[in-house]
This record gives sequence, structure tokens and C-alpha cells, in this order.
Amino acid sequence: MGRVIVVTSGKGGVGKTTSTANLGTALALLGKTVVVVDADVGLRNLDIVMGLESRIVYTSMDVIDKQCELVKALVRDRRVDGLTLLAASQKNNKNDVQPAQMKAICDKLRSTHDFVLVDSPAGIERGFSNASAGADEAVVVTTPDVSAIRDADRIIGLLQHARIDPINLVLNRFSPELVGNGSMMDQADVVDILNINLIGIVPEDTGIITSTNRGIPLVYEESSEGAQAYMRIARRLTGQQIPIPDFAQKGLFTSILNWFTRKS
Amino acid sequence: MNISIRQLFGRKPKSSNIAKQRLKLVITQDRLDVDDRMMMRLQHELTEVLAKYFEFSMNSVQVSLKHEGNSCTLVADFPYKEAH
Repeated sequence: MGRVIVVTSGKGGVGKTTSTANLGTALALLGKTVVVVDADVGLRNLDIVMGLESRIVYTSMDVIDKQCELVKALVRDRRVDGLTLLAASQKNNKNDVQPAQMKAICDKLRSTHDFVLVDSPAGIERGFSNASAGADEAVVVTTPDVSAIRDADRIIGLLQHARIDPINLVLNRFSPELVGNGSMMDQADVVDILNINLIGIVPEDTGIITSTNRGIPLVYEESSEGAQAYMRIARRLTGQQIPIPDFAQKGLFTSILNWFTRKS
Repeated sequence: MNISIRQLFGRKPKSSNIAKQRLKLVITQDRLDVDDRMMMRLQHELTEVLAKYFEFSMNSVQVSLKHEGNSCTLVADFPYKEAH
């Protein structure tokens, strides 16, 4: 039986869809069978971020309406074995789907895949309840700014209420320089506030923009820091113990101070 | 120590620290579902009751929530009036 993981955040624009695309691809590259599900009915984007937009024929709505079999609605990603996408309908809206219907789809998908990653829409309304209905685990994506963290806390509360466990945190768009000069909260600050397990940090990487332009998930660009970060998170999701590197760059003064005060 | 040196040189506190403090406060309120109006009302009512028994300096009364890890404490400060 596969695992159903909802990728969510509360706030929009923090990198849910990018994270879903990259973690899905990364897990497939690790040899897992993965289906990524776009739960953002009416505002679908996972297909275009993954570069599969021209190949969508059926959506989850067609499956719910019994217009097509679930297997037939899955679009195979030809770049890697074992990765498929279930697109969301662009013509409908969130209220056209019931949480129980999403759960039924997730339950069916988990019987044939190792991982079912559900890309949740922003917000705490129906779209979120649909996306999390069939999930047993969650990955909460946040950026180190006040609004994203506040919204993440709200979402974590709702996930805990729904008994979704474990809830893992991805800290996205982390800037070592800004942390170094005290303009951005570091991972310890964020974990102290949100009080959940940090599964990975994705450093700010301009490669994300070009990879999204091209529709090729960043993880294929092995040399990029973002790609390596997503690969590490995928490995941690499979249970491997991989330490989180310390991205924060220390200022010259701190480095000298540390050198003098370091413990032997 | 760290802060006092920084203050000595007239540097502003780091904005990441300000962000963290502000977030902690607002998230505590979010989690408990309390807002500023309720805190003001609580402070007002507490003051009314305590004023029957003690004399304290009214303008330094403070009722606030303190957030530590997963737990949260209601802190009420009612400093005694200084004896003259």
C-alpha cells in the first residue's frame, strides 16, 4: 500500500506546485512509483510546471463523473519510469468535488503506487479539505517570511485536527546571505515557531524560474543546489537518514569569533 | 551581552528577530483564538477585581500571552504602588 501525502501551505506562491513536481520526479528517479495529483480544481498548474500540459486528455473530474477509468486519466511522464500525473479540471470549481470523492481516488491510487502526492490549492477552504481528505501524511511548504509562516501554522493546526501524521516542513526560498546578515529568520527560528519536524531546506535558486519556463523539473539539473535539496528531501521521505546541511553563511566577524572561541 | 554591545554602537535590532517575536505573539493568539479586544476586556475586568484588594500603579498594568515551544502562559503584571 502506497503513502498519500498532501503538499500544502495555506499561503499561495510559496512553492507547493514546484515542490510537488520536484519531489514527485525525485521519488521516481529513486525508483519509486509515483502519481502526482493536482487538487487545484479550476486553477490547475501542476501540468504546466511539469511540462505535461499538452498531453492532458482526462481529469479527475472525468473520473468522478465516470466519464473515464482512473488509469486512463493518468498521464505518463516519459522522462522517468514510474511517474504519472492526474490533472485537475480547469472548467469546474472546488465545490464540484466532494472530499469523499477525492479520498476514493487517493485510495485507489495508493493500491498501485508507492507515493501519491497531492498538490493542494492555497487557502483553508474546500480545496484544502478536498486535497487532504485522502492523505495520511502532509508536507507543509513555507518560506521564511511572516505571512507564510503564520498561514503555515494555521494549516498545521487543521492537519493535526484531521489526525494527519506525520506533518513535515519544507523551508523554501531560503537565502543564506539574508540569514547571515540578520534579515531573514533561520531554520531554528522557523522550527521554534511552528514546532514540527523540518524535512528539508530548499535554498533560493534562480534555476527554478528557467526550469519552470521550460517545463522541466529542477531535479533533472543535478548540479543545482535546489535540485540537490529536493533529492535529499525525497530520500528523507523514503526513510533515509540524511542530515540537513547548514546553509547559513556566517559573516567574517562571526567566523573569526568562532575560530577563537571554538571548543576543542 | 550581544544586545548591549549592539545598542552601544547604536545599531538597529535585526529584523529577523523582530519578525520572530511578532510571529510568536500573533500565532499564540491565533491558536488560542483570542484577539486584542478580548485581551483588553480581560485586562479591564481583572483590574476592576484586583483594585478592590490592592493598590497598584494603573498605568503599568499589563496582561499578555507568553509563548514557549508548544505551551502558552497568560502573564498578568500588576505592580504595587510604591510606598511613599
